[in-house]
Amino acid sequence: MIEGKWYAEGSASASAARLFIEDDTSYRVEVNNGTVLKGKLKNLQVGNRLANIKRKIILEDGSLFSTSQNDEVDKVFKKHLKINSFIHGLESKYRWIFIALIVTILSAFSFFKWGIPWTSKQIAHALPEKTNQLIAANTLEFLDTYMFSKSTVTSLKINKIRKHFQSKIVPLSKENKAIKYTLHFRSWSDGNMSIPNALALPSGDIILTDKFVELCKNQDEMDSVLLHEMGHVVHRHTLEMVIEGTFVSVATMLIVGDSNGFADMGVGLGSLLVSSSYSRGHESEADMYAFTHMLTAQINPKAFSNIMQRMTEYMEGKTSTKKKESKGNILDYLSSHPNTKNRVDIANQFAECYKKGLTKCDIKVKD
Amino acid sequence: MKALNFEGSGNEYFKIWIVNVLLVIVTLGLYYPWAKVRNHRYFYGNATLEGRNFEYHATGKQLFLGFLVAMTLFIVYVVIQQISPLGSLLLLLFLFIAIPWLIWRSLKFSMRMTSFSNVRFGFEGTLKESYINFFFYPFLLLLAIYGIPVAAAVAIPMMDTQAHIPSWTASLIPLIIFLSLMFAFYLFALIKKKNASYVVNGSRYGQGIFSAQLQTRKFLSILLKTIILGVVVLAILFLTLGAVVYGTVGLETIMEIKNNMQDPQKTAEYMGTIIPIVTMVYLGLILAVLFVTAYATARQREYIYENMSLDKKITFASTLKAKPLAWVMITNFLLVIITLGLAFPWAKVRMAKLMLENTLVDTEAGFYDYVTQKQKEESSLGEQIGDAFDVDVGLGF
Repeated sequence: MIEGKWYAEGSASASAARLFIEDDTSYRVEVNNGTVLKGKLKNLQVGNRLANIKRKIILEDGSLFSTSQNDEVDKVFKKHLKINSFIHGLESKYRWIFIALIVTILSAFSFFKWGIPWTSKQIAHALPEKTNQLIAANTLEFLDTYMFSKSTVTSLKINKIRKHFQSKIVPLSKENKAIKYTLHFRSWSDGNMSIPNALALPSGDIILTDKFVELCKNQDEMDSVLLHEMGHVVHRHTLEMVIEGTFVSVATMLIVGDSNGFADMGVGLGSLLVSSSYSRGHESEADMYAFTHMLTAQINPKAFSNIMQRMTEYMEGKTSTKKKESKGNILDYLSSHPNTKNRVDIANQFAECYKKGLTKCDIKVKD
Repeated sequence: MKALNFEGSGNEYFKIWIVNVLLVIVTLGLYYPWAKVRNHRYFYGNATLEGRNFEYHATGKQLFLGFLVAMTLFIVYVVIQQISPLGSLLLLLFLFIAIPWLIWRSLKFSMRMTSFSNVRFGFEGTLKESYINFFFYPFLLLLAIYGIPVAAAVAIPMMDTQAHIPSWTASLIPLIIFLSLMFAFYLFALIKKKNASYVVNGSRYGQGIFSAQLQTRKFLSILLKTIILGVVVLAILFLTLGAVVYGTVGLETIMEIKNNMQDPQKTAEYMGTIIPIVTMVYLGLILAVLFVTAYATARQREYIYENMSLDKKITFASTLKAKPLAWVMITNFLLVIITLGLAFPWAKVRMAKLMLENTLVDTEAGFYDYVTQKQKEESSLGEQIGDAFDVDVGLGF
């Protein structure tokens, strides 16, 4: 016998009632107002169990029998409720809760650490080359309007750089012949400080700022940075970033779900950390691309660390002359670039290989 | 008057929540609609009044299609937002236009899927009213806050140079700005009132009709007190933080940091000092905002509930006070942050308990006469899209 309450179909009025199981196939509900309802067990719609909230059993005439005696209901309707008893089973055993907790923490961690970058890479490389043109469309015009001004580098020098790039550097890239590389020269300043930088658009357009051209002391230094930018293009990093960003946003939405706005703030900081870590991965990948191709082209990888260091020193303050080693600190986690010291370390390892005349180099990467 | 009860517990909900999270992960997100149903069922099913319980009736299957559409739209939105500034602007505009529809569908669906004591709720508010409430008034508010002051500051000096208008017109600018901000202040209170009446007066319980006669005056007074409280709390916060920084770091170091702001290298050396200060200010601001929000929420809820009735015979009251609400909000926030989200189930249960136990219903007239009204089934599409884009209806009962 199961005790509960009986409601006529769609009515709020409740009466105490008892459910009896007659034999293995039929039931009888006795309502306190004298009504007796009989029928076959298989015609009852028994609701899924959830913790100990009231169990809903809908009778053949649409009326409702509601009870708190969940365990008894489970016993009687054992055969009917396989799937649900599976989920309720997970929810009620500490062993499973513990496993769920561990699996959740581990998979959340590996999903963000390896799952998203790996999947994004696969998707980015499966998309047609046209996608790159599409996402780069209008970007240069946008940058020209809001950030850059006209270059002051002489056209003689520009032509020289372009000619060397097309004849010596572009042929090194054998991975994807469909990419058409073009060099652009612009001036970029923030306040009264000119910014040395090189940027690559997914379409293969590479932008060099005047200050960068000025800071390059020789051809090797410029080539090393150009190869680094080509690495970004070949590896489709912009596309990967877009896909990674999408994954992070969707995962965030599913995690935060229907919680209130204040959880968003914590999650916002989390996703910032995650995306800057992806972007550090991209920088290292572009570095590797540059170094391996420099070995092939017989360019000393030291050139890359020289120009990187000069650019960093310039940005860290023109006034200070002493060399400052950047220490590992908490800010590294927020930075979108690997710290200069790590990059220089790797460049030096490649430089060793270069000195030995190797064209391939196994290096140890510290993480 | 009887208070609602919450019969669940944090420990119990934690188990349901973690299994939900696990299944969502294992199915790569596809389990989400079923997880959502289980969450809702747990909170509704444990909310009781005199032994009668609420119930959530939507099924995972029913939500699934809406979920897929919402997910697709959300992915398109995120992708466009990242690759095209113009596209994302257009999308925002589109979202702004779609929000009233989403809220309307969402209210209709979620009310219809909720029952109390075997009788379903419903929502009969119109789409037109939703557009007036969630599009027209917010648009006016935007105009008042940004449009009018900007226009005044730009237009008057221009007129001054072109036509020979006397120079005293320049003094009109502060006046116009002041007036439009006053208007914005009034609009803000008006919107709060309109939204509450739209939701309450559109709600049904079986054949029963909810109603509330609300006055803008009361919302204005709550808003004014909230602003005063906000100013006081911020003043206290900054004085305290100022005293702490002065006492520990000292004025000289602060001046030194300030003078060397332009030098990135020097600034980097001070990071050990700057980071704790920034963290403290940031945390302090969040706590202050939580406290002020709690005050406004508790006061508005109190006012709406005491003026609300079902068929003019069943009445309501809210005994929720600002301080306990602020306490639960602040401690919940800290708990969830410190445990990296794992304390979320306990936080949610604490909040539900507080809300329900401070909701009173006059049950003397009884619920015996109420009967579910026949209606065509609602689609869950609007509700799912609203969920994905975090459109908040702010029903919170």
